[in-house]
Amino acid sequence: MKPELNNQKVEVKTKKASILDRLDYLSVLKWAILGFFALFLIIPLFSVFLVSFTGMPINIFGSLVNPEIMSTTVERLSNSSLEHYMKLLAGGTYFKALVNSLALALGVALLVIVMCFPIAYAFARTTMPFKKTFAALCTIPLIVPTFVSAAGFILMFGRTGWFTNIYQAFGGDGVLFNVYSMTGIVLVQVFFFFPFALWPMVAAFKASDVTLEEASQNMGAKNWITMIFVTFPLAIPGIISSALLIFTVSFSDFGTPIIMSPPDLNLIVVEAYREIAGFFNWAGAAILTVIMVLVAGFFFWLQRLVTKGRDYGTLSGKPKMQKLNDNKVVTTSLAIYTSVVVLMPLLTILTVFLQSISTTWGHGALPDGLTLAHYQRIFTSSSNNIWNSVMLAVGALILSVVIATFVSYFVVRRGAAKLDFIASIPLIVPGIALGIALIQTFNTAPLQLTGTALLLIVAYTIRRMPYMIRSTMGTMMSIKKDIEEAAVNLGASPLLAAVTIIGPLMLPGIAAGSILVFITVIKETSVTVLLAPSDLAPMSLVVFQSLLRGDFYTASAMAILIIVVVLGLQAFANRFSKNRLY
Amino acid sequence: MGSVKVKNLIKKYDDVVALNNVNINIEEGEFFALLGPSGCGKTTTMRCIAGFEDPSSGEILIGNNVVNNITANKRNCGMVFQSYALFPHYNVFENVAYSLTVRELYQGGPATKLKSFARLMSKRLAKPSKTIEQKVMDALSYVELDKYVERGVNELSGGQQQRVALARALVMEPSVLLMDEPLSNLDKKLRNSMRTTIRRIQQEVGITTIFVTHDQEEAMSMADRVAVMKDGEVVQIATPTELYSNPQTPFVADFVGSSNIFEGQIKESTKEGSVVNIGDVILKSNIKLDKKDVKVMIRPESIELSSNGKIKDGENVLKGKVKISTYLGAQIRYDVMVGNHEIMIDQTFEPGTPVLPPGADVKLKIDPERVLLI
Repeated sequence: MKPELNNQKVEVKTKKASILDRLDYLSVLKWAILGFFALFLIIPLFSVFLVSFTGMPINIFGSLVNPEIMSTTVERLSNSSLEHYMKLLAGGTYFKALVNSLALALGVALLVIVMCFPIAYAFARTTMPFKKTFAALCTIPLIVPTFVSAAGFILMFGRTGWFTNIYQAFGGDGVLFNVYSMTGIVLVQVFFFFPFALWPMVAAFKASDVTLEEASQNMGAKNWITMIFVTFPLAIPGIISSALLIFTVSFSDFGTPIIMSPPDLNLIVVEAYREIAGFFNWAGAAILTVIMVLVAGFFFWLQRLVTKGRDYGTLSGKPKMQKLNDNKVVTTSLAIYTSVVVLMPLLTILTVFLQSISTTWGHGALPDGLTLAHYQRIFTSSSNNIWNSVMLAVGALILSVVIATFVSYFVVRRGAAKLDFIASIPLIVPGIALGIALIQTFNTAPLQLTGTALLLIVAYTIRRMPYMIRSTMGTMMSIKKDIEEAAVNLGASPLLAAVTIIGPLMLPGIAAGSILVFITVIKETSVTVLLAPSDLAPMSLVVFQSLLRGDFYTASAMAILIIVVVLGLQAFANRFSKNRLY
Repeated sequence: MGSVKVKNLIKKYDDVVALNNVNINIEEGEFFALLGPSGCGKTTTMRCIAGFEDPSSGEILIGNNVVNNITANKRNCGMVFQSYALFPHYNVFENVAYSLTVRELYQGGPATKLKSFARLMSKRLAKPSKTIEQKVMDALSYVELDKYVERGVNELSGGQQQRVALARALVMEPSVLLMDEPLSNLDKKLRNSMRTTIRRIQQEVGITTIFVTHDQEEAMSMADRVAVMKDGEVVQIATPTELYSNPQTPFVADFVGSSNIFEGQIKESTKEGSVVNIGDVILKSNIKLDKKDVKVMIRPESIELSSNGKIKDGENVLKGKVKISTYLGAQIRYDVMVGNHEIMIDQTFEPGTPVLPPGADVKLKIDPERVLLI
């Protein structure tokens, strides 16, 4: 600007400039990200919501470009009714499925809490031996896809399972319990979901205010009285929150029920899957999807309500010395109990491993012979599935990294709270529900994406987005704002500052987060089963289809391969997050 | 290079007024300090000049150009941050070269653009151009860090990091240099030597410099002129000596050094000045004012004190009793009661003279020249 310009002219000029200024690359990027979420999350969910009233599929994108489709859509919308919801309330299969699912989730949540109670206490308040080993074993359930753990349970407790064989050898009759039942599903979920609750519970026990306990003892209360009336009540909010978390996880789980639920046991996830994959019943699938999202959302909201403001509440003060219980009898019995619980998942995985290297197994407690033929087979005939998995996971990883990095940038640096909210919606959408919503929306022209690798990658990305963002947002917060300002001050545009300064500084967080995305995508079931195109089947789909065919050998070998990949990457990710560069 | 003008600057955050009509004119080449307690708006003023905050109203001119709508990255203001804000993933050389590389990226041809971008992503990907290397080395030798080019910035001491930040800001040849409390993270000894270094470089380069600080000693010892700010307003702009000897408000008098401040009334105006009453104490001042109720300010070191009759009774001589005496090394601080007024007096300590004990009778003498009225 020239100095001789008078002030008025300058002002006119500057107003135009400020509008143009707002249209910088960063704003464009922000709108692009919002558009991504709108296209692949908000609109599909909304579309499914509409379909649950119309009972007929609706083509939202088609309506926008084609007046004919538009008129059909309008006609269908005008015919919408509460008919399907009334049917649901009147009873019948959907209602039963919902009740069964709620019962399952409730049962699993309660059992997990009861089971974890002594373990959490042992970790937080006693000198129990082998704490580190137990903690390491507790990570096993988290790296195993649930349908693999279900398969493992069948291999142990099924009619030809090795445990059943032993049981019969000792004079037992038939099987200990029927794995293909509610009991089987509950047991698998309890043993494979408990770590989700254990660590928050340990934290709750640790966080309880020691001064209150000392006050109680000071007034003459015995140790056990203090424990029952002071320690445990103080931990209750943490425990309730854990229970609600388990409830949501169990309710949304697809892997276990699809393998184990008998034909006469309706569960909402299985029902929804069958409606869409078996019968193309749009109305039914839509209504089940809406219910799943509502239930999961409600319990997620409850959990937030309980934990609100408590996250670090009692942890923020000075660390106080807690007296750990070192009574030998107590610690030894707790250690024995804990080892039984944590060894169960390990045993399941060992069973799957043994199955993957046996010639045949089922006549006795041990396999008839050992072989590597199953591995040879998957590496030759299924090698393309391995590559498919890698390709899909890499695709989802790249997309997640880009979106998560910029979302956390906008949220942390530009206060874009709405974006944060939208990006965390996937937390309450079960995989099956997301899959159904996407299929319904992208089934027909003009945006026919169902059956393409792109839609699957997008689905993976959206599902893992909240976790990825949590990881990148943490790193973003640790980078001071003035470092970015310094870059801008030195002449870089905000975008260039983000790319050259913020990006490299976030690298450790991005790396750790993206490895976790890779891991979860490789073991992902629900979305894969619904959306994977047959010519692009990833490893998890091979395991799933082999299990449904009853080919447990191939399934086991492939499952073990998945677990090995996951373990390797996890170790890599741990190294990354420990040796932070800065 | 350029002058800086801040005209009627107002900055509001929702309902909170952070800056209320700030007006500042800074000459080209001047070393200008913004001084004030925390929350007075000095940093906000600087951030408005740098372009990190949008003023609610008012104008900012750098070198006679209105810069209100020029984004921060195009204002060419070199800034030294309080925390230095060095880029931890770059070494010393790359930190200083950043602005120059960015400039090449924006202004160069496609090949240069690519090379500069590669350079910004990793130093292993491309070499810096000859001109950049020369300029960076010059800047680093200016701050005496030319031996540390390849060091990581986290391997440097606080003072060295400070100098890297200074070199990084200077190498882009900014039209104005902004420094936000640059010495507050250093220990006292280092602070004194950095003061001299900054002042020397500023004078050699001749760059207009704005310096934000809450430390009056820092502002007074370095700046050509100082703006004292309080509650989002500029209270007084003056040279350090003027600020000290002629503060225009009690706040300035107290913030810049310590001061005895009393409520008084002008009893009569004389040829030389005024006669004021502070309760039952009468003092003469060389200042004339048109109002009756005034504030009377006297610096503790401008009062003579004696206990052995060296001071004869007369004009501006008061009798008092020592209440507290504090030995401060080079000085002795006496709190003396004159009637029911408590007066602080700083007396240079001379070896051999005893420190007067509390209760001692003393006489005070104040030069009418040093009795300030507001």
